[in-house]
Amino acid sequence: MLAPLFERFSRAAIDAGATVEQIPRSSTALASAIRRVTGEARRMAFADAIDLPSDLFEECRRAANVVTARSRIELSSLDAGITEAFAGIARTGSVCVSVDHGEAGTISLLARMHIAVLASETIIERPADLFRPDCLGAKGLHRNFVFITGPSATADMGPLVRGVHGPHRLHLIVLA
Amino acid sequence: MPANISPSIPSPRSVADKSDKSALLAAIRMALQVESSAVRHNTQSFNRGRYAATSAIPDYETLKDKARAIKEDSLARLPELLAALEASVSRNGGHFHLAPTAADASRYVAEVCREAGVRLVVKGKSMTSEEIGLNRALDALGIQVVETDLAEFILQVADEQPSHIIAPAIHYSRERITALFKRSFRTDLPLATGEELTAFARGRLREKFLQADAGITGANFIAADSGTLVLVESEANIRMASLLPPLHIAIAGVEKIVPSRKDFGPFLELLAASATGQPMTSYTSVISPPLKAARVLADGGAAARQFHLVLVDNGRLNLRQDECLREALYCIRCGACLNSCANFQTVGGHAFGGETYSGGIGGTWESATRGLQNARFSELCTGCSRCVPQCPVRIDIPWLNTVLRQRLGQLDVGKRPAPNPLAPSADSGASLSRLFFARYDLLAKWGSRFPRSSNWIGRFAPARVLLELLVGVDRRRRLPLFANPTLVEASRQLRLDQPQARKDGSSRKAVLFADVFTNYGSVSRGLAALRVLHALGVDVVVSDAVADGRAALSQGMIATAARQAERTIAVLRPYLKEGRDVVVVEPSVLAMFRHDYRHLLKSGPAGELLQTLRERSFEATEYVGVVLQESQIDAAKVFPALRHPLGAKLFYHSHCQQKTMGCAAPTELLLRAAGFDVITSQVECCGMAGSFGYKKGFYELSLAVAEDLFAQVRKAENGGSRILVASGISCQEQLQAGLGRPVFHPLELLEEILKRGGIASAP
Repeated sequence: MLAPLFERFSRAAIDAGATVEQIPRSSTALASAIRRVTGEARRMAFADAIDLPSDLFEECRRAANVVTARSRIELSSLDAGITEAFAGIARTGSVCVSVDHGEAGTISLLARMHIAVLASETIIERPADLFRPDCLGAKGLHRNFVFITGPSATADMGPLVRGVHGPHRLHLIVLA
Repeated sequence: MPANISPSIPSPRSVADKSDKSALLAAIRMALQVESSAVRHNTQSFNRGRYAATSAIPDYETLKDKARAIKEDSLARLPELLAALEASVSRNGGHFHLAPTAADASRYVAEVCREAGVRLVVKGKSMTSEEIGLNRALDALGIQVVETDLAEFILQVADEQPSHIIAPAIHYSRERITALFKRSFRTDLPLATGEELTAFARGRLREKFLQADAGITGANFIAADSGTLVLVESEANIRMASLLPPLHIAIAGVEKIVPSRKDFGPFLELLAASATGQPMTSYTSVISPPLKAARVLADGGAAARQFHLVLVDNGRLNLRQDECLREALYCIRCGACLNSCANFQTVGGHAFGGETYSGGIGGTWESATRGLQNARFSELCTGCSRCVPQCPVRIDIPWLNTVLRQRLGQLDVGKRPAPNPLAPSADSGASLSRLFFARYDLLAKWGSRFPRSSNWIGRFAPARVLLELLVGVDRRRRLPLFANPTLVEASRQLRLDQPQARKDGSSRKAVLFADVFTNYGSVSRGLAALRVLHALGVDVVVSDAVADGRAALSQGMIATAARQAERTIAVLRPYLKEGRDVVVVEPSVLAMFRHDYRHLLKSGPAGELLQTLRERSFEATEYVGVVLQESQIDAAKVFPALRHPLGAKLFYHSHCQQKTMGCAAPTELLLRAAGFDVITSQVECCGMAGSFGYKKGFYELSLAVAEDLFAQVRKAENGGSRILVASGISCQEQLQAGLGRPVFHPLELLEEILKRGGIASAP
């Protein structure tokens, strides 16, 4: 008997070096979750949502440390970047983030910490499922996106090091 | 800035081109001295990771079949897919270029960069760009190229070629990287941990990402119908290179095309698990460039992007027409064949590799993209076959290297005074040394006829010098003794070769195949097999001694091996017809039947019988297990381990090909069932690998490979000595050479117990 999708997703994501939490689907819950995890972050940025309702992000976007007018130098010095993910993969603990809408690609890449927000019903079994036409509205067949599995990492300098060119930390918020 | 430790050690770059064999030998010496410990540690860690990750994939074997089928289909339809891809890339707003040669590919990229006014390029890891020598072409235009994959960054600083196809700096330990960076960047920073080194490199490279005018990446898979690239990585440098600069150029071999996005599915988990042992790596981008999202500029403004896809032929379309080697094009560059290879684990890709590609699969790639003479390093493939079950697209890598060996021989034939008379014309390229090892059957036949003189020669120092000079047998290696009487003769004398109609015991009928190694060399193993099978009531006879082709095949003498395969089938045919199973003592010979003969006997009556032979042939110890199980006999009762005079504790090393065939586990099971306390070796291969360890030039490497095995024996014997047991004849020689003690075949142990009355309760 397999454990429920969320549990397996969560376990695999943690194995890959991410942190995971599940919260109620509300603007307030999301705002306080993001506050908790960003803590002392001085500068953070949000990418526009295209799959989740944008009012979910309204409350957290009002925080004082949110950067809105931004150049790439500013983006490069972000402490936290928040994007949505349109899918989660239970077997591998990956999330799928669109990279060709607004600044989601850049924000999820340049910030020191990447926070991805996804709806629990978008967690699917395996990466290959995403390329089926009947899976999640065939987004995997049409979008430009990236499977993100843990923070950036390397073993080229000897031992495994987490945090290379991309984010040093990946936090996943699953909306129940 | 070469990282040489002493001036007498050649730099990796100076021995990258191994078209001359002396470069190969120099590279082996260099690697053993400088790179071996880091390579061993890193490849073995990848190797363990892959075993764990692939065993966690529930449908691993099915995924491999699917991946293989997609690659076969894609390569078969390549011209059509190339046309479709060109149309998709244009439709997306990008540019497509099919480069016939390495020079053309580099010229095209340089031209695109020049026209766009590029001054700084950030580059992701791309073996194809290494292959085409892209950095040199861009340097010539005054364009700065920065390697951003940390391994490639190290190599750029050190001016070395990659030593592994997925971890190009696998030969660098953390300590050596620290020393290199301190020297090259003249920094006082400690750089004493992986974190510090990574932070240092990140700091230098982040700036470059933000300033770069162009990003160059490779591509792991490309969908023809949508122009979609899959880019697999962990560091995020490839995401940076494809997302941040105004111009993205992707360079890939034509073989990376698959029909559509839905074909990516099976590869995603397979590639990550086979390569780094992860369920997935940190980032797998699935993009159809040019991306439409506004590019964030330095000043906060935005601009459109440009994309060029450069597909490289450079010998691949010829390779596609090559009936023997074409399956190399299915390769997805996971490196599993490198990490599972005992020789590669010991020297890495600076010795077992050419200018770009390395390892078992690397020979075919260098031969296709640079020239046959550049594949000479493929001699380090011993044919042990451990890579075969690891390949996610089921490429028969040892076979590719056997074909290369034959062709390299033909390439050299012009340099030799006379073709040799003992080989068919297709094998006429075989040198005297190859011939010596390939026709072991003739040598052994005559050697065992005059055992006193032949064995004396083997121990006589001046003769050994001559043997080393003439045929390249290393004089330090003890030669196996030739037996007299042979197995066939001894079994006749002992009346062990008679069919036995018995009412009790097993109903199995078998023929023991008198392989040349057992017949002329290790008669006691063959007799032990006969006695054990007789005791269990198997009606067993002995075949004529005939060369099965293994020795010839290992030297690339394919035509000779095929001829011998035909004869072997002719010898076995009557036994198979009368319903006998074929029992084989030497695992490498069984591997010929089960695996290699399909290349040698493609059609004709012998080919038809092959399927039967594959189904009805058994490794000798495996067969004993089958008989016991069928007859419901308890091994502990018939072979009680405690009766063995040397005790019931043993160390068992299974043969590489035996492992690949899945025959190692049954032997371990049987020994345990008999009551032995079994510790098994955890190595892919002992390093002897048939003739490999006998050859001058490879002797040191062979023993270096075996160091792990010897260390495991010593560790196992911390709690008291153990009987050394091995199933392969060359493994036995290697263990004996390293540990100076006799090594037994598993059936010799069982036979010894029988002698002491163990069979009392047998039927």
